[in-house]
Amino acid sequence: MEPILSIHGLSVRFGALLAVNDVSFDALAGKITAVIGPNGAGKSSLFNLISGAVTPTRGRVMFENKDVTGTSPDHMLKVGLSRSFQITNLFFELTVQENLRLAAQFLEQGHGLFRPLAASTRANARVDELIVQFGLQDKASELAGYLSHGEQRRLEIAVSLAARPRMLLLDEPTQGMSHADTKETEIMIRGLASEHGLSILLVEHDVDLVMNISDHVVVMHQGKKLAEGTPAQVRSNASVQAAYFGEHG
Amino acid sequence: MHDQAKPSAQAPSASRYFTWLFFLGALVFALGAGLVGDVFFLRLATEALIFGGLALSVDLLLGRVGLLPLGQALFFGLGAYVSALVLKEWHNSFWLSVTVSLVASALAGLVGGIVAIRAKGVYFALISFGLAQVVSKVVFNTRDLGASDGIIGVPGAAIFPGLTSADPIGFFLVTLATIFGLYCGLTYLMETPFGRQLSAIRTNEHRIPFLGFDPWRYKLLAFVVAACIAGLSGALYPMLRGFVSPELMFFQVSGNAVINVIVGGTGTLIGSLYGSTLLTGLKSVVGSFTAHHQIVIGLLFVVVVIVFPRGLIGYLSPLLQRRLSFRHATGRGGQ
Amino acid sequence: MSSALDWLQFVLAPQMVNGLSIGVAVVLMALGLTIIFGLLDVINMAHGEFYAIGAYGAVALIGLGMSFWWALALTPLLMAVLGYVTERGLIQRVFHSKDRHTLTLLLTFGVGIVLEDVLKIVFGANPLRVEAPITGATELVGLFFPNYRLFVMAVGGLLIVAVWVLVFRTSLGAIVRAAAFDRYMSASLGVPISRVYAATFAFGVALAGISGVLLAPIYSVFPTMGRDFVLIAFSVVIIGGMGSIKGAVLAGLLLTQVQSISSLFISPVWNDPLLFGIMVLVLMWRPQGLYGKLGNA
Repeated sequence: MEPILSIHGLSVRFGALLAVNDVSFDALAGKITAVIGPNGAGKSSLFNLISGAVTPTRGRVMFENKDVTGTSPDHMLKVGLSRSFQITNLFFELTVQENLRLAAQFLEQGHGLFRPLAASTRANARVDELIVQFGLQDKASELAGYLSHGEQRRLEIAVSLAARPRMLLLDEPTQGMSHADTKETEIMIRGLASEHGLSILLVEHDVDLVMNISDHVVVMHQGKKLAEGTPAQVRSNASVQAAYFGEHG
Repeated sequence: MHDQAKPSAQAPSASRYFTWLFFLGALVFALGAGLVGDVFFLRLATEALIFGGLALSVDLLLGRVGLLPLGQALFFGLGAYVSALVLKEWHNSFWLSVTVSLVASALAGLVGGIVAIRAKGVYFALISFGLAQVVSKVVFNTRDLGASDGIIGVPGAAIFPGLTSADPIGFFLVTLATIFGLYCGLTYLMETPFGRQLSAIRTNEHRIPFLGFDPWRYKLLAFVVAACIAGLSGALYPMLRGFVSPELMFFQVSGNAVINVIVGGTGTLIGSLYGSTLLTGLKSVVGSFTAHHQIVIGLLFVVVVIVFPRGLIGYLSPLLQRRLSFRHATGRGGQ
Repeated sequence: MSSALDWLQFVLAPQMVNGLSIGVAVVLMALGLTIIFGLLDVINMAHGEFYAIGAYGAVALIGLGMSFWWALALTPLLMAVLGYVTERGLIQRVFHSKDRHTLTLLLTFGVGIVLEDVLKIVFGANPLRVEAPITGATELVGLFFPNYRLFVMAVGGLLIVAVWVLVFRTSLGAIVRAAAFDRYMSASLGVPISRVYAATFAFGVALAGISGVLLAPIYSVFPTMGRDFVLIAFSVVIIGGMGSIKGAVLAGLLLTQVQSISSLFISPVWNDPLLFGIMVLVLMWRPQGLYGKLGNA
C-alpha cells in the first residue's frame, strides 16, 4: 500500500536542544497512525514540523509523493493536509457556525470573497454538513467561547476538517476530556478513517486510546524514534516497555 | 477590540436604527440650515463629516482588524494635498480630483501597508505613527508644496453643472452622500467572506494560516481600503476650506480620529460618524469660550477610556437592542 | 592627508561629542519608556509630555529663586510623585481589562493631550530659556567643548550606570525583574505588585523629567517640545527591543551618533526619515528588536 505521508530523517534544533533527532516513518492512506511517547519526547515538535508551523533543520516531509518540507501552513492546506491543536485554538468571540464558515471558505478557492456570504454556496453547504456530522445543531449560533470543553474539542476537529483535507493531523484530540467524551471522540476518529477514508496522524497521551484505534504506532523517546509497528508489536517491544510503559504503569 | 463583533445575524436592527437616525438627522439639519440661510454651521457640519470619514477608516482597522493606526492622517493629508494640487494646477473638476486622490492613496496605502503590516500590536501602532510623522515633516519642509504654509487659494470644485463646492448646502449634501456611500460600502464589505476574515484575524490571527489563508494579504488589503477611505475624505477638505496645510498630516489629526472612534464606539462603524460630529461640535462650542479646547477633549477622552471603553454607540446599541427585541417578543405574544 | 585629519578633528569629533550629549538624554528617555513597557506592558504615549514637564519644572523652580542644581535634584522627585499618582489614579483603572495594550496606550495618549494644554495654560505657548549653570569650554585634544555638554554627558552617563545597577544588581531590581517575568508568581510570593507597578511607572517618568531638565539649557522650553523627542525615544526602544535596557542604551547611543554624523552630509530635514528607515529595516530583520524583554535579560 502507498504511504500518503513519508517522513525522512527529520530533525530540528532549538539552540542546543535537538528536539527531533533523525525521525523517519510512513503513514498509510486511509489508516490511523499514532505517535506516542513520554512528555518531552518531541511529539509536538514533530507535529509542528510536519504541519509547516516550524521549518526542520534537516530531513524531508513527503506528502502524496510531493516534497512539502518547510511549506507554510496555509499552503499545507492547499496540498491537502490539515491539523488540529492541542490547546483549543478557535475564534472564541465568534459563533460555532461562523468558526466553521471561516474554515469552509477555503472550498471556494478564493472566489466570492467580496460577494455576500450567501453566495458561497459550497462553503455554506459544508458548514451545514459539519454541524450535523459533529452533533452541534443546538449550538450553531452559540459563541465558541461559551461551549463546554468537550464541545470545543469537537468543534476544533470539525474546523480542521472543513476544507476536506485528505490527511488530518490531530494534536492530542482528547486532551482534558472526560471519560465519556473520550470514548465518543474515539468512535468519531475511527469513523473518520473508516467511513470518510481520511488518513489520520495523531499525537496522543492516552495510550489506551492509541492502542484501541491505531493501525500503526510510532514510539518516540528523547527526540528519537524508539520503535514502530502495530499496537501489538509495540506493546510487546522490550525497549518500549522499559522507556514508556515501565514508567507509565 | 471589544466583543461587539457578536454574530451580525442579531446585530443589525439597533445599529441600523442609529444609521438612519444619523443620516436622516443630517438631512433634516441641512433642510433647517437651508431655510434659515445659515453658512457657518453647514460648513462646520461638512467638516465633521469629512473627519468622520477619516474616523471611519480608523475604525475599520482598529475595530475590525484589531490594528491601532496612530498615523491615519498621513492618507487623509495626502488625499487633501493631491486634491488641492489637481484643483489648482490642473482642472477644477470634483470627479477628477477625487479619482486622482483615490489612486494616490491606494498606492500610498500599499507601500505604507507593506512597511507597517509586518509589525504586530503596539509595534504597528508606533510604526504607523512614525510613518505619518516622517512624511508630514518632509511635506513641512518641501518648498514646492508650500512648506509650512501649505497650499492656499484652492478654487472651488465643479461637481455638477451649476453646483460647485462653494455652495454650502450643495457641498454638504455631496459630502453627506459620499460619506453615506463609504459607510454603506464598508458595511457591505464587512458582511462578505473578506470582512468576516478580518474579524477572524482580530479574534485569533494565529489560526488563520491553518485554515488555508495568509492573514497578511487580508490585512494589507484592509489597510489599503482604509487608506482609500481616509484619502477620499481628505480630498474633500480643500474643497471645503480652500487650503491645505501640513497640519492635516500631523499627529493631532490622527489622534483626533482615534478619539472620535473611541468616543463614538469602536467597531460600530456608525459610531465614528457620531464621534466626529460630537467632538467637532464640542470643539466649536468650547472653542468659543477658550482657546484651550484640547484639555476638554483630552479629559473627555480619558473619562471615556476608563468608564465607557465601548463608546457611545457601543454602550447605547445593546440597550436599544434589548428594547427592540423585548418589543418584538411582546408584540408577538399579544397576537 | 592633513586636511582629512583636520576634518576628523575639527568637524567630525565635535559633532560626535554633541551627539553623545544628546544621546545620553535620549537614552534616559528611552530607559523610562522601556522599563515601563517591560514591567507594565504599557506604551506611555505621554512620555514626551512628562519630558516637557521636567523642563518646565526646572523653569518654575528656578523662577522661584532656586539654583539650577536644586531644580535638577527636586524635579525628578516631583515627577516621580506625578508618575505615581498617574499610575494609581488612571492606569490602574484600565490595567486589568482584556484590551490592556490598547486601552493603556489610549489612556496615556489622552493624558498627554491634557498635560500639554495644562503647560500652555500655565506657562504660555512661547519658548522659554533656561540659563546653563556652567559656562565656558574645556580644551581637550586641541578642541573646545562646551562645559555644560560635558556635564550633561557625565551626569547622564552616571545615571545610566545607576539605573543599570539598580535594575540588575539590587534586590529592588530583582523584585521588578521577577514581576516582569511572571506577575502572578511574584504576587503569590508576596510582592506588593500594584505598588511595584506604580513605583516603576514613577521611576520611568522621573527619568523623562531628568532628561527634560538636563536638556533645558541646550534647547528652548516650549509645550510641544516632547513630541519630536519622544519619536526618537520610541525609535530607540523599538530598535533596541521593547523592554530591553541593554537595547535602549545601545540603540540610543548608536542612533544619536548616526543622526549627528549624518547631519554633516544631509539636510537635517532628512534626519527623521533616516532614523525611521533604520527602524523599519531593523524590524524587518528582527521583528522583536535587537534584545528581548526585561524579565529575560
